[in-house]
Amino acid sequence: MLYKADRLTKVFAGRKVLDIVNFVVEKHKIYALTGANGAGKSTLLTLLAFLDQPDQGELRFGGSKVYYDRDSLLQVRRQVVLLDQYPILFTGPVWKNVEFGLKVRGVKRRQPEQRVSEVLALVGMEKFCDADARKLSGGESKRVALARGLAVSPDVLLCDEPTANVDEENQEIILDILKRINAETGTSIIMATHYLSQGRQLADHSLILSHGKLSGRGHENSFRCNVMQERDGLLLCELNDSCRLHLEKQQDAELSGPCRVYIDPAKICCSQGVSPISANQWTGKVLRIEQAREHILLTVDCGLKVKVQLDPSAYQEQNPLVGEQIELSIPGDSVFLSPLYNS
Amino acid sequence: MDLLLDSLHSAFLLLVSCDPELLVIVAVSLEVSIISTCIASLFGIPCGFLVSYSSFFGKRFLLTCLNTLLALPTVVIGLLVYAFISRRGMFGSLELLYTQKAIIIGQVILIIPLVTSLTIAAISRIDNRYRKTALTLGATQFQMVLVIIKEARYGIGAAVIAAFGRVIAEVGISMMLGGNARGFTRTMTTAMALEYDKGEFSLAVALGLTLMTIAFGMNLLFHFFQGRTWADAV
Repeated sequence: MLYKADRLTKVFAGRKVLDIVNFVVEKHKIYALTGANGAGKSTLLTLLAFLDQPDQGELRFGGSKVYYDRDSLLQVRRQVVLLDQYPILFTGPVWKNVEFGLKVRGVKRRQPEQRVSEVLALVGMEKFCDADARKLSGGESKRVALARGLAVSPDVLLCDEPTANVDEENQEIILDILKRINAETGTSIIMATHYLSQGRQLADHSLILSHGKLSGRGHENSFRCNVMQERDGLLLCELNDSCRLHLEKQQDAELSGPCRVYIDPAKICCSQGVSPISANQWTGKVLRIEQAREHILLTVDCGLKVKVQLDPSAYQEQNPLVGEQIELSIPGDSVFLSPLYNS
Repeated sequence: MDLLLDSLHSAFLLLVSCDPELLVIVAVSLEVSIISTCIASLFGIPCGFLVSYSSFFGKRFLLTCLNTLLALPTVVIGLLVYAFISRRGMFGSLELLYTQKAIIIGQVILIIPLVTSLTIAAISRIDNRYRKTALTLGATQFQMVLVIIKEARYGIGAAVIAAFGRVIAEVGISMMLGGNARGFTRTMTTAMALEYDKGEFSLAVALGLTLMTIAFGMNLLFHFFQGRTWADAV
């Protein structure tokens, strides 16, 4: 076990921005941390990088409790590198930036040169070794920052939006590097991202943060809705004019009014030309078909863009095509409601 | 007009002939100013760093006090230090009065708030990501401080130059604590005041020209540093 957090909270200006009851991260895996802006992703990464300490709760790293005195912090910090969303490079040439982590660790003279060349080659920036770091483009800066982090061979790489504000070519390069590092060196990676598709493509596990709380569900198909109580004890969940769901009352809350609904993409059934049995059926056009690790992911436009996850055999059997109309059946157990704002 | 032209002509001759008295006065001025600037920088830069990177009760009040001290008249410092180092003062036995050391003490007190304030301003302009990046790459607190100082070097350099400019041009402290002793504590500004009193304008104008040249050089350096800082920020 790499990280274990227990009742971790962080408060800024009287507002609880992070409230994690329980959280476990395993070694050598890639985790995608997804969530909306302000969900607490960067705050969590800062805590995991030991650059800040929680207001309450306990964080364990590598099985040991993290202590926040200067010596203990330096020890744990040197095993983890946080790549900022907008990385900043130190004044000077690229090689000096990449060498920084090795230099502060007192690595002897010749070794840094070799390591700097290695990691710059890994990120495809070897030609920029002597270039002025401040004059690089956004994508190049991110790659140099990645090389700078990798130079110290960290056990954990925390990436805050590694592909934000980067063109598609550089996005692919960065994601490919992350994948390779994980596969070749076993470096654990926790990556905060807005792009759910990135998380799916890259991560072994997805963690979803919503208003500072970790949620095990709903990283796909999260929509605003309006919930109304019906006479027969059912709930009517109205997502828009064409998308409605009739649900049995959920155990946890008497929900009504504006809420958030999560629909598990793996539990949605799709069919072509066959009327679904369930009452919760939506019709839509297939917009996109993509592979996400071992699954196939359809994006279906039903007025809302709904993700449907199929296993390869189901996909081959149904063989949906882009532009084709399909029917979606939303079973009750695939739907989770939560209040719109967690206080 | 004739007086000014004659004075300028005589001053030019003094400068060209490297008049020994002029050189001694310039040397004393530069010596005390450089020493006081170095001492104030050694104290003011770390102080500025500490104030910038720590949060404590009364920080705003401290900043207000520092800004107020920027406008402290040199004669007030002269009086204050005089009270301590005169024969009847607490440190009278050290016999510091009318020595270069006394001038240096007064000048250090004058420019510490300036160096500290400008260092705080220079460091607060430095992006907090430098601190975070240095720490996450495994830097110790001291190594992180060095990174920040390196990134703020132009701003800090400008603070040091501004402080030097302030002390080389001040007259109150040098006069009150140095006593204007020829060859020992006579600085450019005190010599100019004396020559003016005597009605001897040649040396005064020559010193004035030298002082202005040094001040101009300092300002050029200051603007060079500021220009670099702004260019970096853009």
